[in-house]
Amino acid sequence: MLTAPDIALAPLLPILLVLAGAISSTVLGFHLPRRTLTYINLALLVLSGIAMGLLWSGPGEVPATAFGGGLQADNAAILLGLTIVVGSVMTLLVSLDTAYRARVSFPEFDAMLMYAITGTLLIAFSGDLIVMLIGLEVMSLASYVLATLQDSRRAEESGLKYFLLGSAGSAILIYGLALVYGATGSLSYAGIAEATAGLTPGNLGLLVGGALLLLAGFGFKVALAPFHQWTPDVYSGAPTSVSLFLSTVVKVAAFAGMLRVFGGALQNAPFWASALQILIAATLIIGNAASLFQTNFKRMLAYSAVAHTGFVAMTLLGTPGLGGAALGYYLLIYTLMTAAALAIVAALQRTEAGMEINDLRGLYYRHPGYAIALAVCLASLAGLPPFAGFFGKYLAFQAAFQNGYVWLSILAVLASVAALVYYLRPAMLMFMPDRTPAREYAHGQRPATNLTVALGVAGITVLGLLPNLWYGWVADPAIWELLAGR
Amino acid sequence: MIHLMIFLPLLGALLLLVTPRTWREEVAGFVAALTLGLGLWLWRDGGAALYSAPWVPALGATYSVELAGPSLALALITALMTLVAVIYAARRIENPGTMLALVLAMESALLGIFAARDLVLFYVFFEAALLPSLLMLAIYGGPGRMRALVKFAAYTLLGSLLMLLSIIGVRYYGGSPTFALRDLVANPVEGTAQTWLYLGFLAAMAVKLPLWPLHAWLPDFHEQNHPSGVPDVMGTLYKVGGYGLFAFALPLFPDASLELRPILMALAAFTALYGAWIAFRQTNWKRLLAYAGLSHMGIVGLGIFSLNETATVGALYLLAFQNVYTGALFLGVGMLQERIGSVDTRVGGVMTQAGALSGLTMALWFASIAVPGLAGFIGEFSVLLGAYQVAPWLAFIAGLSTIAAAAYALTAFQTTFWQGRPLGSVRVADLRQTEWLVLGIPLAVALLFGVYSAPALNLIQPAVRGVLSALGGS
Repeated sequence: MLTAPDIALAPLLPILLVLAGAISSTVLGFHLPRRTLTYINLALLVLSGIAMGLLWSGPGEVPATAFGGGLQADNAAILLGLTIVVGSVMTLLVSLDTAYRARVSFPEFDAMLMYAITGTLLIAFSGDLIVMLIGLEVMSLASYVLATLQDSRRAEESGLKYFLLGSAGSAILIYGLALVYGATGSLSYAGIAEATAGLTPGNLGLLVGGALLLLAGFGFKVALAPFHQWTPDVYSGAPTSVSLFLSTVVKVAAFAGMLRVFGGALQNAPFWASALQILIAATLIIGNAASLFQTNFKRMLAYSAVAHTGFVAMTLLGTPGLGGAALGYYLLIYTLMTAAALAIVAALQRTEAGMEINDLRGLYYRHPGYAIALAVCLASLAGLPPFAGFFGKYLAFQAAFQNGYVWLSILAVLASVAALVYYLRPAMLMFMPDRTPAREYAHGQRPATNLTVALGVAGITVLGLLPNLWYGWVADPAIWELLAGR
Repeated sequence: MIHLMIFLPLLGALLLLVTPRTWREEVAGFVAALTLGLGLWLWRDGGAALYSAPWVPALGATYSVELAGPSLALALITALMTLVAVIYAARRIENPGTMLALVLAMESALLGIFAARDLVLFYVFFEAALLPSLLMLAIYGGPGRMRALVKFAAYTLLGSLLMLLSIIGVRYYGGSPTFALRDLVANPVEGTAQTWLYLGFLAAMAVKLPLWPLHAWLPDFHEQNHPSGVPDVMGTLYKVGGYGLFAFALPLFPDASLELRPILMALAAFTALYGAWIAFRQTNWKRLLAYAGLSHMGIVGLGIFSLNETATVGALYLLAFQNVYTGALFLGVGMLQERIGSVDTRVGGVMTQAGALSGLTMALWFASIAVPGLAGFIGEFSVLLGAYQVAPWLAFIAGLSTIAAAAYALTAFQTTFWQGRPLGSVRVADLRQTEWLVLGIPLAVALLFGVYSAPALNLIQPAVRGVLSALGGS
């Protein structure tokens, strides 16, 4: 006998709104100019954010689910989803001003972007491994196209690199997923978590193998060393607005997936934490050391994104209550500061290759607003108070430290010192007087980009002074202990 | 009132950004004077009591501030020297808007450091003070500033991030509900964990103090700063290491302080002598002052690490007033540089043409090398007296640095201000208008508190007794 599938539209609404944007961009692209589509998409993203807010479940309420728990709109999903929306809105705003210069100003760009966002939301809302995988693939395929969309050699190279390594990553991930299914007999997070509690030794090997393959697959997606090789080339080769998207929204989604899988489903599985610890140590060392030697500012930001992956991943080592809260806070801050910094690069660069660090000399005397904003972003990225990056780093250290990873915390401290050195150089160069002619794109200041930058800078300043505005929401450990569902 | 005092300078700094160019000096001066006035008012009322409110409840961070005892003394000195620096910067620096805003922002951070009674809040102010000082160096610094900047920032951040781990650890291992100092002291950490956490805390404070071998950033920092000396004044106020050790490290890590006392005292004594020795060989006034400061900070460290009441009181006294005369000396160097275009110590003959400048500089040097009757003497003498009761030999070694101080100070003074004026050199103008105030006020303060130390001691002594009696120390 057939039973009707459990379809509830309410928890799907945020995703459907974004999907509607993607489809309308595809279809209406023949009739409407791209800017109009972008405005429609911005509105839909805001609506999607509001829809998520309405799904928020207060204490005692049961989160809405659909497809028998395959999709769950619990508070963790909403918090990560809101972060994704913020990053996406910032991407779209920047693309309003820079897409034309970057030669990606056609409706397909918007469509691909919205498809990718649909995928990222699916990951955040996923309740089992298949939904997560579908989201990941939708996101990845759209991102491959986005990276290649610009008609240039560098974009082609970066897109191809991204595609080849990304598919290898996906393949490994799927294989790991199969092994986990083999070991536990379940695909839903809740089922896996239940099965891992009492496992026979025969299945244990399978589970460990699967978990490690999953770790490697996610390692590709979030750019954990040694799976980070594609990141600098892709981030610096793609148009800057795409780099912005890839280094914020896509990374947030990949971390959301990692949190769901490792913090929820595989919480009781052995060994992956020790492996992750080694990957984080390698990421911290390689990412920070490589950033030190970059001469191109955009490339340096790409490597710094790798370095930040290391800091963010430390939160996964904490207990779910503490680590999840830290991750939820860090990802929003990371999105705000990275997006604002790349928005400034997008506004000021002469070509899509970004600018050299030395070209920033004296920026304060030419574009005081951008210089101060960029300095704030860099200070926040370096983790200096009173900006929000400090609390992000603090929470990450705390999560790892309190769960017994003392040596990793000390390594992270040393890595932060290296990070300060490479963030400091451009930040201080901007304030040094300079008499050579300007090296920026002359017509760089545009309202939408300025709005993005203002949003980012205001966000990291306010959340740095009053972290409770966001941390108060994410801090409830109950949110993160339910990651695998009930 | 206390909140106003902490944040008024920052508001003033923001206000300067929108003030028309012609009014900036007046606004900055007014804000600095008002802050000092508020501080004096607080002093008259006997200090501001502890105010505590939740800041990030989920994290256990509170907004706890208090200005009483040594912290009030240091805050007052900070406000005074900021006012002096603002007066000088307004006249000396062309288009001083940015510099004045940075000086005021720095003042806010420093007042916050002294007022904070919560470890996370303390850390936030501690690091926030880094930003204006970096910007001052970046915007107004000398040709080698990038190296100095990176060195300064890397040392500072390495220390303070280790301190951050210690802060996390102190609360976690002690099980305190919040980061407020009161709660942390009530839930102490025991055993070897305490020693490790103390070492993490010490890393930050030793960089700031600075203590050998973590001092290497100091001379470059001062040498590359703007020749006027205004950033150096704020830089010398930056020596919050001694205060942090006294206010946080001693109450939180009593056993570890006792355990590590001999090693730390030896390091401090060595720093004092080493700084004085290197200062003797300097031919750049700013480097000389930097090493002289290092030497003084060694003595401060000796006093605090000795856990002896007399010595600790002396250390805090020295810490407070060293800012006054060393800061004024930096400004004096700035005046010299303005007149002869160099900060070299081998100029010669300035005395013949600029008597007042030379005379005031000499008087300030006397305060610095602890001539009785000036504020430096009381501090250094008490430290050595107290430290002698704990470790006579180390006190003797540190005491040698006061002799060395006389040697380096007087040698440099002689080669610059006495001797013959080289033929054909420019005529040196004497002090003008506000410059009298810039050197006169600090000298008056140093003289007053060198003769009449009771008001400052009344602030410092009870707090020291409180901390040391909780320690069960000598």
